[in-house]
Amino acid sequence: MSRIRFEGISKSYRDAIALDRIELDIEPAGLTVVCGPPGCGKSVLMRILIGLEAPSAGRILFDGEDITEMPAAERSIGYVPQSFALFPHMSVFDNIAYPMALQGVPRSEIAARVDQAAGILHIRPLLAKRPTQLSGGEKQRAAIARGILKNADIFILDDPLVGLDFKLRESLMEDLKDMRAEIGATFLHITSDPLEALTMAEHLVVMDRGRLVEAGPVDAVYYDPTCLRTIELVGFPRCNVLPGHIDPTSAVCATAIGRLPITLENGATSHDAMVAIRPEDIVPPGTGPTPLGIGKVTLVENLGSESVVYVQLHETTLVTTVPVRTLASLDLGDPFPLAMRPGGPILFDRASGRRIGRITSSSGEMHDG
Amino acid sequence: MADVRVERLRRQFGSLVAVRDVSFVFPEATATCLLGPSGCGKTTLLRMIAGLERPSAGTIRFGDRDVTALAARRRDVAMVFQYPVMYRTLSVVENIELPLANDRTLAAAERRRRVDEVIEILELGDARRLQIDRLDLGARQKVAVGRAIARRAAVTLFDEPTTNVEVHAKLALIRAFKELRRHVRQTIVYVTHDQTEAMTLADQIALMRDGEIVQCAPPRELYDEPNSEFGGWFLGNPGMNFLTVHPAEGSGFVVDGVPFPLAAPLPELEDVRFGIRPEYIRVATTPLPDSVPARVLRRAVAIGGQHLVTLAVGGSRIKAKVPPAEGPSRGAPEVGSNVFVVCPINHAILFHRGKRLAEPLRRLGSSAAACASS
Repeated sequence: MSRIRFEGISKSYRDAIALDRIELDIEPAGLTVVCGPPGCGKSVLMRILIGLEAPSAGRILFDGEDITEMPAAERSIGYVPQSFALFPHMSVFDNIAYPMALQGVPRSEIAARVDQAAGILHIRPLLAKRPTQLSGGEKQRAAIARGILKNADIFILDDPLVGLDFKLRESLMEDLKDMRAEIGATFLHITSDPLEALTMAEHLVVMDRGRLVEAGPVDAVYYDPTCLRTIELVGFPRCNVLPGHIDPTSAVCATAIGRLPITLENGATSHDAMVAIRPEDIVPPGTGPTPLGIGKVTLVENLGSESVVYVQLHETTLVTTVPVRTLASLDLGDPFPLAMRPGGPILFDRASGRRIGRITSSSGEMHDG
Repeated sequence: MADVRVERLRRQFGSLVAVRDVSFVFPEATATCLLGPSGCGKTTLLRMIAGLERPSAGTIRFGDRDVTALAARRRDVAMVFQYPVMYRTLSVVENIELPLANDRTLAAAERRRRVDEVIEILELGDARRLQIDRLDLGARQKVAVGRAIARRAAVTLFDEPTTNVEVHAKLALIRAFKELRRHVRQTIVYVTHDQTEAMTLADQIALMRDGEIVQCAPPRELYDEPNSEFGGWFLGNPGMNFLTVHPAEGSGFVVDGVPFPLAAPLPELEDVRFGIRPEYIRVATTPLPDSVPARVLRRAVAIGGQHLVTLAVGGSRIKAKVPPAEGPSRGAPEVGSNVFVVCPINHAILFHRGKRLAEPLRRLGSSAAACASS
């Protein structure tokens, strides 16, 4: 199993810095998702790993061996590019078989392995067709099959579901996870979609503007982020983030939606903070949660089993999700009482974006205005 | 304003039938969303109503008026496209007003009233004198929506208007659309592949597959009462779970070795499946009444911090949505752990060869549930 290590990887194109001193270990035999907004550098990092681009500085190690200078063809990596890049004059079978044929795999073994991959990806009936006869989703499956059938220790899928129908994405995500379990190799999956990242990942790497923001097991990154940017980028719907001012003597953070009780971690001394409240931490008032007041509904998005409700409270719009079966019909402008699940929301330093504490529970009136 | 009646409407491209003999009424003053996967024929159907695509067969009527042979500009339709089509050198107000100025029956005062109304609803007051070029794509598309609504055309058509705008602009557009609909009721046909958009905007959704409308209902009803496995699968994130059902001895049926008694015997049918949505499945660490043992195969954080759990039940896989709880990892079930699941049969629907079974067995009612727990 290959352990991949990026050591101080930087990449510049003239004045533009695409990657800035990336230090990262990729878990062997796991599924690691590298996510971040378009242009964050995730694809460049993968192209450097494959050997399609050279880093401006830093090294890449496979199991301790420096492979920075190794030609791409010698690296044991299977790659599914964003564009399908299928040969139009070949059948789907021959397209999938092509990399193995190049590697000199015997014909009988090729047939068996193509059949196996075609089974997992539900494309057996398509093997005799030409790529021009396939739909977008079918082409994508063929491209994935070709990418994963190479004899390799590492497989990189560069945004393999982008542009596909929502339902196709849903079934392909399932197929990809099955395939990963079957092959047992190290998988790197690149995406800018936060829900896809959470659905796929065992380990999650968050990138932004050429920098590594945070990396770790997916649960740790989601529930216990150390950076504001992580909580902004990972999760759906997007996290509520609002500025606040900390009064250390009373252990309170004053925000537009009220004075929130806080616990500071590791002797933090910040004054200007950002409060991050995930949509699921905004809940109906009850005995446990801290009441925030009554807001006004500005939009209800119906997702089927749940609704995303946008509520305006003291000039701030808060987003929450509510299971549809517990929700009465809501109209724009309707009153909507809000409370906050204590212990959930996280406090970050405004300047550095580093985590400094949590919002805790309290009793009494939250808003001072 | 008029209803839109299409009858045996067909569009064929060579051997490909894009729209297959569709007969359907788009009711007056109602927003109908055409929803379906890529290639289902929704855009072709919309373009035929607009007059941008000629039908291979069939008729289109706006109220009593047969418009099948009429050119687009003579049909009295307003349309919003994927990209805003605007006069770039004109201001926001001028862009909205221009189509109205061509209508000589419209008094100047009424024209101004309509323009002011949409500008106010869309909160475009500050931008009204700005040249359209100075707005971003999302704001321009908002103007396009306002312009179409201000027309008060017989029919207003939308062809995936949010496809090319970024996510915040998309929300703003959806909000604007809903706000406009509260004030101005029009006959609207709205094409989208985005089920959230359809469920949020539509009075009713016409679900399409392979060139046909397979079901039409208000969003909630379409979600809760699909008439086919396709409908159950297509709506929802993820869609419905399906389990193969075998008749049990006496009455009721068996799903993967798990008996579900029923008041009435299951009809002697092959290929019957039991459909249940992920949010109705309960997952517990200890046995519950009517629970069956299961194993957690996978788990992921899903929309709004829910846990999306993949479970092995007998030889089948099902997905369940578990709400977040208090505590570390928010009460997420451990992968590999043994759990107990309840599939409440009052929330299940039976399908036969993909179609929902007829009454009285189409939904397994509360009497069946009572029977199962006794």
